[in-house]
Amino acid sequence: MRDYWLSKLFFDLQIPAAAAEYRANRAAVLDRYPLKPALRAAVQADDVAALAPLTNPYLLRFYFLVAGMSEAEFLKRIRAGGPRGARSAQG
Amino acid sequence: MAELVGVFAASHAPLIVRGWEGLTPESRQRVTDAFAGLGKRIKAARPDVLIVVSPDHWVNFFLDNLPSICVGVGETHAGPPEPWLGAFPHRQVAGHAPLAQHLVEHAHTHGFEPSLAYQLKLDHGFCIPLWKAALDPLPAIVPVVINTVEPPFPAPQRCLDFGACIAGAVRSFPGALRVGVLGSGGLSHSIGEATMGAIDEAFDREFVRLLASGTRAAMLEFLEQRLEAAGNGTAEIRNWLTAHGAAGERGFELIHYSAMPEIYVGHGFAAWRV
Repeated sequence: MRDYWLSKLFFDLQIPAAAAEYRANRAAVLDRYPLKPALRAAVQADDVAALAPLTNPYLLRFYFLVAGMSEAEFLKRIRAGGPRGARSAQG
Repeated sequence: MAELVGVFAASHAPLIVRGWEGLTPESRQRVTDAFAGLGKRIKAARPDVLIVVSPDHWVNFFLDNLPSICVGVGETHAGPPEPWLGAFPHRQVAGHAPLAQHLVEHAHTHGFEPSLAYQLKLDHGFCIPLWKAALDPLPAIVPVVINTVEPPFPAPQRCLDFGACIAGAVRSFPGALRVGVLGSGGLSHSIGEATMGAIDEAFDREFVRLLASGTRAAMLEFLEQRLEAAGNGTAEIRNWLTAHGAAGERGFELIHYSAMPEIYVGHGFAAWRV
């Protein structure tokens, strides 16, 4: 099951201006999305494995590129999450 | 009546554009040769219109509304919105509204109910093969989005049948048009999941073997057993199945295949003799 607002955040960041704003002030952008507290904490912690089961994998990978994580670091974290990527940050 | 003059399929790995500088000369040559082989065949077919079947990688559709199949019926389509595709030479791509509308109407009387869009942005799945095959001038494009990005996906059998439906629509279109079909995507790859970067070469080679000489039943059984485990991006082989269906499930010619972990895909190119 996808988390709609997490996915919407990632989807919206495809607009370059939105991505720039996010990189400059992540908290202000996150305030506009009604994420559950545990999920917001996972976003703030760049917790790839926790976010993976809650969004589409293409959006997940895109998000971490936009957020400034290197491909090598993303691969390390997604592979550490297990065969399906993951533990849940639902809550 | 319109004529189906060619059926093709091609990979569309983004890294051949945004990671080009990091590829070895050998990898670049392999990619260049594969697209040249595709371009040569498309040009030889001289299509006035190409029906391009590709996923939408989250540029037109979101979880609010996610069609399984959508046909772009606009007079024009927007070029790719991805910033890294800024060098794509067309900001607007000509469509073919009459053929697209005919395809939608034909489908609705032949077992399919695709949605339609008057405004579509053509992302890298559409644009990379058109660009790298060096089609100049570009034929008019009828884009067909098949959802292979967010489950549930159309069943492989339905994709074969939808390909046949496309061919039927072309042949019943009242106009002297030369029409080609291009399936975009695949072969095996894995994106944003734990197996990211892995390529299932054995899957790819058996898939192309079955396209060349297998039965429909053997293909469907193989996909039932192997498709899901071959990586999430491998869902895009549905676009090859659609092409295969459009060609009447015969006449397959492999132009190129190589497992290319440096661009994260089993890099495949094909044409069908129609």
